[in-house]
Amino acid sequence: MSTIINADTSNGLKLTSDTSGEIKLQSAGADIATVNSSGITMASGKTLPATSLTTASGSAPSYSARAWVNFNGSGTVAIRDSENVSSITDNGTGNYTMNFTTAMSDANYCAVFGSEYTSNSIAGIVCENTGTTRTASALQVRSGNSSSAGAVNLIAIQIAIFS
Amino acid sequence: MNKRIVYTNDDGTVSVIVLANECGLTVEQIADKDVPAGKEYHIVDAADIPTDRTFRDAWTWE
Repeated sequence: MSTIINADTSNGLKLTSDTSGEIKLQSAGADIATVNSSGITMASGKTLPATSLTTASGSAPSYSARAWVNFNGSGTVAIRDSENVSSITDNGTGNYTMNFTTAMSDANYCAVFGSEYTSNSIAGIVCENTGTTRTASALQVRSGNSSSAGAVNLIAIQIAIFS
Repeated sequence: MNKRIVYTNDDGTVSVIVLANECGLTVEQIADKDVPAGKEYHIVDAADIPTDRTFRDAWTWE
């Protein structure tokens, strides 16, 4: 048994008390979470919103990306997947802008780039376009490869933003 | 979203905005946010954008 705190949809707050040392939180009679001497356990299918990361080992803190995108910059330019990205602007050959859905607090964020190594041993390169001013809401990047000097459309362009 | 937003830059080149699915914004909201202020833009079907990028920097919008 448990002490039950139920937010009932007909009668409001319903309390059921016992001496188990355990509290069960319910909404409309359905279990949401259980609190006991071991801590809090979410009911099946219920989760707490993540507010921080847990470091697997060691004491150095962990920080998650504020935005990331994986897109195809060749042929039909298309976003494969992303978070906190509203769009990619295709500005021309090997020239793209990553637009954030929610802006960073300033423009001093760290951008990390990834690309591909093609079957004919050419390494793709993605970097910030230093010819433009980065902002808190967007970052312009250029893509190229290890065998030519000019900009090149790449199939795999990946960017992560940390701040 | 199978739409694209197209606008012409000051140097005559064309930019094409590719929308992120599930970002929670409508195409109009993305246009308001991601098209440079004051630029005229057009919302078009993705199929209207060429897939051959050989002369990408020479694209114009009419």
